[in-house]
Amino acid sequence: MEFPNDLYYSKEHTWVRIENNIGTIGITEFAQNELGEIVYADLPNIGYNFQQDEVFGSVEAVKTVSDLFMPVSGKVIETNQQLLKTPTFINDNSYGDGWLIKIEIQDNNELKNLLTAEQYAEITNN
Amino acid sequence: MKIALFSDIHANLPALEAFFKDVETRNPDSIYCLGDLVGYNIWANEVVNEIRKRKIPTIAGNYDFGIGRMSNDCGCAYKTDHEKDNGSVSISFTNSIMKDEERAYLRTLPAHIKVEFQLNNDKLNLLLVHGSPRKINEYLFEDREEKSMLRIMEQADADIMCFGHTHKPYHRILNSGTDGQNHFRHAVNIGSVGKPKDNDVRGGYVMLTINENSSVLDKDSIQVEFIRFDYDIEKAAKAVEESILPNEYAENLRRGY
Repeated sequence: MEFPNDLYYSKEHTWVRIENNIGTIGITEFAQNELGEIVYADLPNIGYNFQQDEVFGSVEAVKTVSDLFMPVSGKVIETNQQLLKTPTFINDNSYGDGWLIKIEIQDNNELKNLLTAEQYAEITNN
Repeated sequence: MKIALFSDIHANLPALEAFFKDVETRNPDSIYCLGDLVGYNIWANEVVNEIRKRKIPTIAGNYDFGIGRMSNDCGCAYKTDHEKDNGSVSISFTNSIMKDEERAYLRTLPAHIKVEFQLNNDKLNLLLVHGSPRKINEYLFEDREEKSMLRIMEQADADIMCFGHTHKPYHRILNSGTDGQNHFRHAVNIGSVGKPKDNDVRGGYVMLTINENSSVLDKDSIQVEFIRFDYDIEKAAKAVEESILPNEYAENLRRGY
């Protein structure tokens, strides 16, 4: 199972990629594998603010529905529109085409609360 | 108009026969089957043939879809490796007993049936699916968030959505009206004839009653009755035990799980 080194991970199985002050957020390969085939991603409207660890949406899989937790605080500036048509991008490429939202990072200090790829792999027994 | 809806027989012929006996006494105007005729017991061909000979409109369940295509995947969400192992025995056993003609019937079953009523100068859409309108094997449990359930029904243009797959019956009425105008939608899980999982060992099905006043504006104008009937559980359980199927499936029948 793959956990890219350039991402930060939350214990709630989301990841964030930081580029300048923009964070791209998705769920991990471990999470999509646990959920199984995803049929819908319920994502927030642009402009909404969320705090670290707050629920920002949910993913609906064939067998269950799972809340999505913010890895870091921020304002939503973009959501992945391709998921409306092809939610299985999350299964097929959870770190690429299956990204969920982009945010303006509020506080870079919060990144220290997140896990490295190695730490995340450890808590998921990978 | 009384509409009987049943599903998830899962090759349990004694339960299916008891269902027919019960439903005939209630004299419905029509009967629909919402799929999963086969798997988990020994009478896969017999169940197909009993339904076929009565010409009951039937949609495919995930198990029918898999067996129809000789697949080793039934689209079932088993939680543990043990359940997966048991499930593998069931699907390979069912594939081994299924005859060609019965398999071909399963392969050509439709995915959905939509029945549009036009009463009171308005439409009232009844949608029949196995799991959900978007996936044959999606589990819509009773605790599904209202927002999600409504979205699924609105996207499918379903005023009454009947489905099975979880083997746990319920009826939820959700209001998707706007600007003070009611629009009641009914989500109905019809339970299971041959493999109930709600701790009631009896078989179950639904009688839906639609009358000339039925409308999305009045939530009580559509009646959903959950009917339970006794059947020879021991006959079904012993058949499992005398086959190569896991004995746990017999216990599940005796416990209603």
